[in-house]
Amino acid sequence: MSVQQAGAESAHDAARATDLLVTVASSLNDRLAVTARELARSQDLLREASGELLTAFRGAADRIVAAQKSAPEPAGGGAELDLVLSHLYRAVQHIQSHDLVNQLIDAQKLRVGKMREKLEQALALAQPPVADPAAPQLWIERSRAMLDCIIGGIAQIDDEARGPRSDRRDAGSVDLF
Amino acid sequence: MKTILAVDDSATMREMVAFVLESAGYRVIEAEDGAQGLDRATHTPVDLVITDQNMPNMDGLTLVRSLRELRDYKSTPILLLTTESSDSMKQQGRAAGATGWLVKPFDPATLLEVVGKVLR
Repeated sequence: MSVQQAGAESAHDAARATDLLVTVASSLNDRLAVTARELARSQDLLREASGELLTAFRGAADRIVAAQKSAPEPAGGGAELDLVLSHLYRAVQHIQSHDLVNQLIDAQKLRVGKMREKLEQALALAQPPVADPAAPQLWIERSRAMLDCIIGGIAQIDDEARGPRSDRRDAGSVDLF
Repeated sequence: MKTILAVDDSATMREMVAFVLESAGYRVIEAEDGAQGLDRATHTPVDLVITDQNMPNMDGLTLVRSLRELRDYKSTPILLLTTESSDSMKQQGRAAGATGWLVKPFDPATLLEVVGKVLR
């Protein structure tokens, strides 16, 4: 194989590697777009459910607060008020969980959005025609620039898109110093 | 009546904390981040501060440090109520001058027990 032939083969392989990278980035971007839509839909459903739960909660909470104010020490209604209050306290825990899930979805939406941004930036790097398609080095540089962009994006996302770090095992725990 | 400042960037979380505390007879004032919390605390004396950690503008630990620099808040109890539960964060809370650390989602009865204890 001549030097010229070997060079052409290298350029061909490097170009194929770049194409493959473009295909992977593009495919990943499409799937993340679907994920973003599903997250938004999940959040809409959660917000609707949380809204209903909060409305019901407020209705009951307002009544019990009013009842407490009008009769701080009721003769016979104290036990009933306590019972209603215990149900509301349980609701408080569920509403908090809704709120935390909502915050988690926000963080995931941000993460997905930022990753899509980086993938689109990487894909944009593959747009202009290569100055000399027969030069393998140019294809390699292009692939490297795309990978750097994607890897840099991943590092940035880990720094910026933090959601609430809720661990069920620790939920409700108390440490007094 | 004891006054408690509840600081959280989530309106729902503030509402839950306020409901539980008010149902037990406390007066609650609210702030949506550390900066607003600091402002509220300097204008209205409070007996206890309950703050989230991760918030825009000023986080909970910075709020604790800022309050501890004020003469009126040298010994006021301050509780962190947060999803953060790592030992290193708790250590930071302790070093900043926090009185205690509660992990969300909180149990209302436990919150009231802790509040009663630190206000005693």
